[in-house]
Amino acid sequence: MSGNLLYRQPILRRPDGVGGALPALTLITLFFVVPVVALLLRSVTEPVPGLQNYAILFGDGTYARVFFNTFLVATVVTAVTVIVAFPVAWMLAIMPPALGSIVFGIIILSMWTNLLTRTYAWMVLLQRTGVINRTLMDIGLISEPLPLINNLTGVTIGMVYIMLPFMILPLVGTLRAIDPMTLRAAALCGASPFDAFRRILLPLSLPGIAAGGLMVFVMSLGYFVTPTLLGGTSNMMLAAMIAQMIQSLLNWGLGSAAAFILLLVTMALYALQLRLVGAKRMTGGI
Amino acid sequence: MTEPFLSIRDLRKTFGSFVAVHDVTIDIPKGEFLTFLGPSGSGKSTTLYAIAGFQHPTSGDVLLEGRSLLSVPSHKRNIGMVFQRYTLFQHLTVAENVAFPLRVRRRPDAEVKRKVAEMLSLVRLESFGGRYPGALSGGQQQRVALARALAYDPPILLMDEPLSALDKKLREEIQAEIRRIHRETGVTILYVTHDQDEALHLSDRIALFRDGRIEQIGTGEDLYLRPASEFVASFIGNSNFLPAEHLETVNGSATIRLADGSVVSGVRIDQDFSHGQKTRLMVRPEAFRLRPGPATAGLAVDFIDTAFFGERRRVIARTAAGQEIDVRPTSDVAQAHEGSASRRQIFFDPAAAFLFPA
Repeated sequence: MSGNLLYRQPILRRPDGVGGALPALTLITLFFVVPVVALLLRSVTEPVPGLQNYAILFGDGTYARVFFNTFLVATVVTAVTVIVAFPVAWMLAIMPPALGSIVFGIIILSMWTNLLTRTYAWMVLLQRTGVINRTLMDIGLISEPLPLINNLTGVTIGMVYIMLPFMILPLVGTLRAIDPMTLRAAALCGASPFDAFRRILLPLSLPGIAAGGLMVFVMSLGYFVTPTLLGGTSNMMLAAMIAQMIQSLLNWGLGSAAAFILLLVTMALYALQLRLVGAKRMTGGI
Repeated sequence: MTEPFLSIRDLRKTFGSFVAVHDVTIDIPKGEFLTFLGPSGSGKSTTLYAIAGFQHPTSGDVLLEGRSLLSVPSHKRNIGMVFQRYTLFQHLTVAENVAFPLRVRRRPDAEVKRKVAEMLSLVRLESFGGRYPGALSGGQQQRVALARALAYDPPILLMDEPLSALDKKLREEIQAEIRRIHRETGVTILYVTHDQDEALHLSDRIALFRDGRIEQIGTGEDLYLRPASEFVASFIGNSNFLPAEHLETVNGSATIRLADGSVVSGVRIDQDFSHGQKTRLMVRPEAFRLRPGPATAGLAVDFIDTAFFGERRRVIARTAAGQEIDVRPTSDVAQAHEGSASRRQIFFDPAAAFLFPA
């Protein structure tokens, strides 16, 4: 009897789960899946049916430069974010939990603060007469203001700052699962701190780096606000180009094609991530 | 005088106002198997960590062949260690784990290969080289850890409660392996445990720690048969403590009066007691007999519960003074029918009992 009851529970629950998820699923279907399909259709029908929009995007040097620039920024931002986030994540992983939750709080708080506010704050800090250049000139380290804004440097600084939590959080999870005793064991085996990092800590933290890195990379590819405000016109990224095509040039066909390419790349990366995580599970959950 | 192989000199470690290790001094000859035994928090692991370089002592020194290790970082101490938890590198195969210390030492490939094979055969895991640690049992993982720790022929092997995560059967199996490996390699082993059976089984000598000090150091036999204090007597083996009053001592042989008024003479002591001083007489459960022998003392007891355990029987008895004691006489056929009698005399040899201050 009791066995029957236990078996029934999931069966009873299942329709409830679908029922509860319905509003959100409807919303996503109506306002994401349908528009994406519409986008795809527009990219191959406007102004006339055919693949000419894609031909233009891949054929024109200007657009190629935007694509290249987008991937360059995403790559640089991801690399710098990994390097900056790793020590923070490690500190959080080995910190006493009470202190760790305070630092966690600060990181989460930064995520909750308005994106536009934070980006404008960077404009104030980075511009020619901004706080950073002024201070450096006042203490005599530089005589000319450094070009920190309207270039790749500005975009990288601003975006790394925004992406950090997305890298730190998955990395902390991975690092916490590593027993600090493992590193002591490595030391007694004769591994210098650098060897222990390179041969033990880094390989063991790869799943976290991969998860965080792909998240940051994908988010960076489609980022709009920060690159637009800190990057200037000569460093246009894909999202800004799409906005310009649709809002200023009213070229819906070309804009849709560009947006669709971005979506495809994002989905390909997501598939890659799924594969990596799946492969990790098979080797015994490292 | 020759320099001892490994020497711990006046080692002291404090954490704030807490003294974890209290001026510990030990000399360890080459090839010895020395166990640090003691309850948790007695300073045994802290002492081991100071040797490993994980903790810098507040004062004192650790000398290997006369040279101080304190200024040498962990990774240059050339010491092997097996930990309580499994600390194998999960992303490397068993063979790569064992090879790790040789790889960081940039040894040539041929030597690494030969040494890994040799080590895996030492711990009897020849066919496991290609597996990942996650696919091994706890006992196998600790054997790999042992192979990894010995791969670079360290002069000293530290073991920090390496068997505490294993079940009893596996523990005994690996204890035998450790004894064999110690015999075959001749490596000097410092072994930390809170398990007296493990210490007695494995060690040449045992250092019994209590509150950051060494209470007694000696062979297992020394600690069992000649305990220096009540703490040692109660930590090693089983023991009964009977309240007693010291009457007099002649030539290291004491006469005492037990709580039931009976007088016992011939108790061997190695410290001074005054007349009338309150003391406790320690008698091992297995030192009691059911029949009197030459020079035995008698004790009137009631048997409360008797159980038969093959070579010995175990009796819970109550003395005339109302104290419950543990009695484990040897079983023999002649006594079998006497087992259930209640009020009776049991006997012990006063020379095998010990007197401690109360």
